[in-house]
Amino acid sequence: MTAYAAFARSGFLTSLAYRNEVWANIFGKLVQVFARVAIWLAVYAGTMSVDGIGIKDMITYALLGGVVMGATRHDRIVRQVGTALKTGDVAVWLLKPVHYPLYMLAVEAGMSAYTFLLAVVPTIIIVALVYGMLPPASPFHAAMFVAFCGLSFIIHFLVAAIFGVLAFWLMTIFSLDWLLGSLVTLLSGLLVPFWFFPEPFGAIASHQPLAWLVYYPSAVWLGQLDIGMTLLYFGIGLAWAALLALALTLLWRRASSRITVQGG
Amino acid sequence: MLHRLGVLALLVRMFVKSQMEYRGAFWLDRVAQILSYGAVLLTIWILLNKFQLLGGWNWPELALLFSFQLLAYSLGASMSFTQLNTLEDLVRMGTLDALLTKPINTWAYLIFSGLNIGYAGHIILAIPVLVWALMAAEVQWSVGSTLFFVGSLLSATMVTGAIITMIGGTALIWVRSNHLFAIFFGFWELTRYPLNIFPTGLQVVMLTIVPLAYISTVPVAVLLGKPVPLLGDFAASVTLLAGPVLVLVAIAHWRYALSRYQGAGG
Repeated sequence: MTAYAAFARSGFLTSLAYRNEVWANIFGKLVQVFARVAIWLAVYAGTMSVDGIGIKDMITYALLGGVVMGATRHDRIVRQVGTALKTGDVAVWLLKPVHYPLYMLAVEAGMSAYTFLLAVVPTIIIVALVYGMLPPASPFHAAMFVAFCGLSFIIHFLVAAIFGVLAFWLMTIFSLDWLLGSLVTLLSGLLVPFWFFPEPFGAIASHQPLAWLVYYPSAVWLGQLDIGMTLLYFGIGLAWAALLALALTLLWRRASSRITVQGG
Repeated sequence: MLHRLGVLALLVRMFVKSQMEYRGAFWLDRVAQILSYGAVLLTIWILLNKFQLLGGWNWPELALLFSFQLLAYSLGASMSFTQLNTLEDLVRMGTLDALLTKPINTWAYLIFSGLNIGYAGHIILAIPVLVWALMAAEVQWSVGSTLFFVGSLLSATMVTGAIITMIGGTALIWVRSNHLFAIFFGFWELTRYPLNIFPTGLQVVMLTIVPLAYISTVPVAVLLGKPVPLLGDFAASVTLLAGPVLVLVAIAHWRYALSRYQGAGG
């Protein structure tokens, strides 16, 4: 366990070494958060509320999207796992007494923690000061928001790692990375929350695993789900995470038992 | 001169051949990109299906904006992005030194030996959407507007290529410049939406320091007869001039950067 803590720490410190890259990334994302707020202000065009959702709710939703998606980068995970499998670098990790996916999770947690603490939080505070942000609906919702953020990180990691491992069979990291990108755009709720989707697509979208990336954490903060529903959907999210972890474990076992590394 | 052009054509042929070696993987990558941009277009449709207007623009007008941006970007980036994205590595590893000794213009060698045909996916998606949107958005066609459409698309392509070249070329001075691409793409995503929805400060930045407004929102607004913030009646001429002017700036910047290059690897 201490080994994984050390990996997480090294991930944190690696980010510290590449500060420029992290800051440029955050600046790019900050511009996007500003843009999403501008888009909601434009479509509401002075209307205070649409389908019971106020403009303040939507500004807060856009900011929260930046919080939960600002730190973790699925493209980084897909590329790292995919490249390790494709180049054979993974062989080195198979020799060590660590589980490669857990090692990746630890490193990613360290890197995300750095970005989250030193870049995401300050930038969101800036945007919140400019546009105003609603507080959590209640202390219960605030606490559950934190729990949902943790779940969002885990599901984000698991889905990205599964896509990375698929590179073992498909031999193309590029298309897997882009494919996951398109799914996240549409199905995480980052750009448009599912309550604005035409039915039945809204209902379908809100039950697939990527919905826990942005949609549920933000909906919980805003109090769109009552206490019972919040707990129920947290449970469903946990079930999805367990299922994805199982899928990753099985895929990883198949890939690592069949891997043949040529050269070195 | 003819001989040089022949060399460039050969470089392009060789690169295309190497790209098409794994034909299946090549087209799988293109399908993934089409799906990815298609997902963005779909979210814009979902938004407009609910709200009808975004900053005074309806769905066909936004589809026109999206496809114009995608086409101009892919044409400009095929001549610059992947090639200059790797320049940082060439500088760091010292590989660039070998290119500098070749009896051919370094920029021309870099660009044509890596002319990215991978943007085929963008173009396959952009053209049908553009054709549909041009019909649905009720553009008032005349000889003038047709010439403006072609001219502004060319100018937009030049703007894309020039900005990417300047970012990539900065690696010759700073060694690292790829983090600037993260900022570029942050602004680039905004060009899928009308300029008038953004705060004035952001509008000024996108018309001056990061002049990406000229790759989509300014030319398309002029074509649709919509008001362009800050530029007003000058919008049409500024957008046509932006491309050629930025290309000149990019050439000057490239020459300056190359003169400052000291090598970083060995």
